[in-house]
Amino acid sequence: MAALLELAHLSKRFGGVVVADDLSLSVDAGAAVGLVGPNGAGKTSLFSMISGDLRPDRGTVRFDGTTLNRLGVAARCRLGVARTFQVPRPFEQMTVFENVLVAAQQGARARGAASHRAALASLERCGLAPLANRRAGSLGLLDRKRLELARALASGPRLLLLDEVAGGLTEPEVQVLVGVVASIQAEGTAVVWIEHVVRALVGAVERLLCLAGGAFIADGQPEAVLADPVVREVYLGSELAIEGAR
Amino acid sequence: MTWLNAILQGLLLGGFYALFACGLSLLFGVMGIINLAHGDFAVIAGYVAVVLVPSTGLPMVLGFLVVVPIFALGGYILQRTLFQSALRRGDPMTILLVTFGLSVITENALLQAFSANGQSLNIGSLIADSINPNRVVSISDISLVVLGVAVVLLAGLQLLLSRTSIGRMIRAVADDREAAELVGIDHRHVFGIAAAIALATVALAGLASGMITEFAPSSGTANLLFAFEAVVIGGIGSLWGTLAGGMVLGVAQQIGAQINPSYQILAGHVVFLAVLAVRSRGLFAVREAA
Repeated sequence: MAALLELAHLSKRFGGVVVADDLSLSVDAGAAVGLVGPNGAGKTSLFSMISGDLRPDRGTVRFDGTTLNRLGVAARCRLGVARTFQVPRPFEQMTVFENVLVAAQQGARARGAASHRAALASLERCGLAPLANRRAGSLGLLDRKRLELARALASGPRLLLLDEVAGGLTEPEVQVLVGVVASIQAEGTAVVWIEHVVRALVGAVERLLCLAGGAFIADGQPEAVLADPVVREVYLGSELAIEGAR
Repeated sequence: MTWLNAILQGLLLGGFYALFACGLSLLFGVMGIINLAHGDFAVIAGYVAVVLVPSTGLPMVLGFLVVVPIFALGGYILQRTLFQSALRRGDPMTILLVTFGLSVITENALLQAFSANGQSLNIGSLIADSINPNRVVSISDISLVVLGVAVVLLAGLQLLLSRTSIGRMIRAVADDREAAELVGIDHRHVFGIAAAIALATVALAGLASGMITEFAPSSGTANLLFAFEAVVIGGIGSLWGTLAGGMVLGVAQQIGAQINPSYQILAGHVVFLAVLAVRSRGLFAVREAA
């Protein structure tokens, strides 16, 4: 099977800071991939280069056989690349329902009654249906994160880039979101998931990548990657100690 | 009774100002552009009508059928070319200067082409028709029509924004441009649509001004000033507030004129400044819930 997403030799630097150093990666359709790494490793920048918010200095981004480099963010969304922001950015003056409806109509190109059904379906999956008529700006953090996910889902993605959906949430809240993401992935949508809360990732992904200094330093089964001494050295050592002390 | 008449005339004038102001308000609300050439666009609309409408055989009062589509298309193109390239620089000063330059160029080009003399759009006897319930109060038909057009236009815009998929796209882009891109909305296209609407409305305003009074190449600045005052008095981001703001301005001017004809413009400015000082968000601003 051909890969859904193929990154070839992506490089990007901001002045002296290298956020991507000759990165190559391929993600299969329907795969669930976790992405970890220390702060400033280039995780979010990598997402921005895939979604089109950031132009790489070198290298190509291919999605389902199409080279994306020259396409804008909106065009990539319509091809099936969806992304959530680390800090949710709902359209605050619109209702929760309108937030997902606009994604269903513009991202997934749904029309009329079909767009309303698609919008409602994505709200229901994320547990937001009861809040459909609330103004998005009035939502709390958990519901904002859910809306960010529901809106990305409504745009009809084949690849979903999740940037720390679990950050700032309590353990039971994280479990709810992990369940939603797992069900999205089970239906064939590939998911690439950045997460600081590593325990949220381990059960949900089949492959884990570790990014540090703009390069992948590990790639494989989650348990194997977390056990890798190099990974523990650059990133996990301190955090695992904290988790162990709890 | 003369005071009542002044208030009535002010309200009618308010509809006229709202027609000028709603496009200004829309461009600012969606893109953060303050279009300093807005008033000049209205003047161009008047001259386009003078030049083109007679050759179509339509009566001048139906001139909008010719001018409005031209302006809508022109607005889209202007946005996608000149304004977009100015916006891409990222500095809000750039787009302000571009619209200022456009205003200066327009005024001088019109002076070259049409001289400084005032013109009006000849709508025949319609201009003289009026409703006269008594000896003092006189409501001109055309002013009433302009107010009606303004109300219908604002209601239509409100419906467009709240109920249609185009309206939701516009609101999404106004709210968060990058997030809108992420759900598949090309913000440049949406900006183009907003500019098309804004120019279509200002074309209507220009035609109305040509029918009610007269216009000259230099009229744009006053148009812009009154539109700007209506938007600020009403509160940015509220369409009905813009109508109300236009009416407050109109009534203030007419009452000022009633006291002393030379106070007309001054009274409007004083009320504008008073609103800015007391309630700078505007009288009818949409409250932002925390």
